[in-house]
Amino acid sequence: MLTPKTSRRTVILGVAASDAHAVANHLIAHELDECGYYVVNLGVCTPIAEFAAAAREHPRAVAILIGSLNGHAHEDLRELAKVKEVGEITCPVIVGGNLSVGSAKSADSVERLYALGVDYVLDDASQIVGLLTQLCEEATGSVRNVS
Amino acid sequence: MDHSVRYINTLGKASVHDVLTVAARERSLAIQPRCGVGSHEHMRQLLDDIANRAAPDVLSLTIDSHTRLQRFDSALRCLNTRPESLNGYPLVTHGWRRGRELNEGANAPLEIRHGSPDARILFDVAIASGITSFEGGGISYNLPYSKDVPLDVSLSAWREVDRKCGRLADHGVVVDRELFGTLTAVLVPPSISLAISFVEAVLAAQDGVKCISVAYPQGGNLEQDVAALQAIPILARRYLPADVAVFPVLHEFMGAFPHSRSGAESLILYGAFAARLGGATKLITKTYQEAFGIPDTEANAAGIRLARMATSPLFDFVNYDVERCMDERDWILDEVDELLSPVFSASDLMDAVTGAFAKGTLDIPFSASRHAKSAVVPRRDPNGAIRYLNAGHLGLSEMTRRRNRDLIGSMDGRVASPPLSLFNSLKADISFFVTMLDGPGSVPEAGVEK
Repeated sequence: MLTPKTSRRTVILGVAASDAHAVANHLIAHELDECGYYVVNLGVCTPIAEFAAAAREHPRAVAILIGSLNGHAHEDLRELAKVKEVGEITCPVIVGGNLSVGSAKSADSVERLYALGVDYVLDDASQIVGLLTQLCEEATGSVRNVS
Repeated sequence: MDHSVRYINTLGKASVHDVLTVAARERSLAIQPRCGVGSHEHMRQLLDDIANRAAPDVLSLTIDSHTRLQRFDSALRCLNTRPESLNGYPLVTHGWRRGRELNEGANAPLEIRHGSPDARILFDVAIASGITSFEGGGISYNLPYSKDVPLDVSLSAWREVDRKCGRLADHGVVVDRELFGTLTAVLVPPSISLAISFVEAVLAAQDGVKCISVAYPQGGNLEQDVAALQAIPILARRYLPADVAVFPVLHEFMGAFPHSRSGAESLILYGAFAARLGGATKLITKTYQEAFGIPDTEANAAGIRLARMATSPLFDFVNYDVERCMDERDWILDEVDELLSPVFSASDLMDAVTGAFAKGTLDIPFSASRHAKSAVVPRRDPNGAIRYLNAGHLGLSEMTRRRNRDLIGSMDGRVASPPLSLFNSLKADISFFVTMLDGPGSVPEAGVEK
């Protein structure tokens, strides 16, 4: 896509604090870049404080996208509630990956993430682009502004 | 150091350098498993068991994660409370006396395998233990693993290790330095793997290292893998002094492994054939339990025996497309030259390398580190060979870039409709062997103890 960088919508991307899985992070970054987003990729092992700092630097970011593949999402996102409460993060927070140790994902585990301040929990990385499109539309009203 | 040198000279067993020299001369394939557990007794037992069951030519001491990150306190704590939780042998914590015990108890020589951006202390303990084969380099043991260790820091630390190898060589002890061309282990283009290995090799040779094992990761296309292995001695003649012994090594497939035993074992055998046909001197094995985690002893032994089967004279008939392979080799040699000429023509190699990674003119895909751009996007072509879909900021010529894109071609994604997203295409490329070999008829491996 040839959308110039200055008019691209921004997405903040990273992997949760205790997690060093880099490949999925890069795959998502490449795909979002192809879809025309300006990706601020904080990379692996990113604590909430760094996501907050990026949100401050990019106040019009469409969303913050946090990957967690090592089953430690709840522990790593502990501080998200506080950070949202004091307004350091105001855009939607999307979490996806392998969210708890053990192959069965419980509804309770997802509820606990919502309680921490997560706005959307995704099962599958292929859902990301659709959700971001929806969030862009919501952010700019019913007419989708391509800038 | 004198103490260690004297001890090593009295050991009376072949070193890894010796084993590789003989294997290269006899055109045979030295075979080595990975292995490492926390408890000293269990480690001793493990080395014994594997040697008895499969007689590998070189044995590994795979080091645990805490030790790799110099968290020696954590390693000690784990050792005292739950040694089975360690994912390798904490050599620094156990100390050189126990290291010597392990090495003296094994007929085959030992190599230290780890993943440390700064391995200086580990290296000293290895040498004091009489172990003279040491894996890693300032790029390959940094960028794939660490988020934020600057390259000049890791390169300087590894320079110290290599200089010590130089001084040991002056005293007649030749340390084998195996470079980790596998890098991020996911769709690594051969020219990136070899370019980075030869940067590390040239730096090592400058520091006095006299024995270098250039390890290349099996990508999965036979002609491409054979070509990459054949390129290694050519690149060695091009870039390294004649008095440095260089040995090509193949790492059996380091990516997503089939779950079924038959699928996994066919992939293992395929890798062993690639090593044989490519003239590798050494092969690092995998096991049928790879998809599930660290293998048990029997699986490890089975992997060694299976790999060795590929060296049987009964398989002298196994062949490959020599012309395609020569094309692949020429392309690899050209690409490595395009990547490395700017770096090798600079006055300070270490500075040039750090600068190149900062600009992205050297790069690795999917790096954990913020010190690599990871702008390179690899893809498999329809034959499974790894190509550059997007070469990022690499100094590859337009012709090279176009050839790579053309080889990936227009087949991809047009079969299905709608065409696959980049994410799903890359996922498919990563799962290439799982998809191919864990077919509907295959039986998943049951009852694997972790």
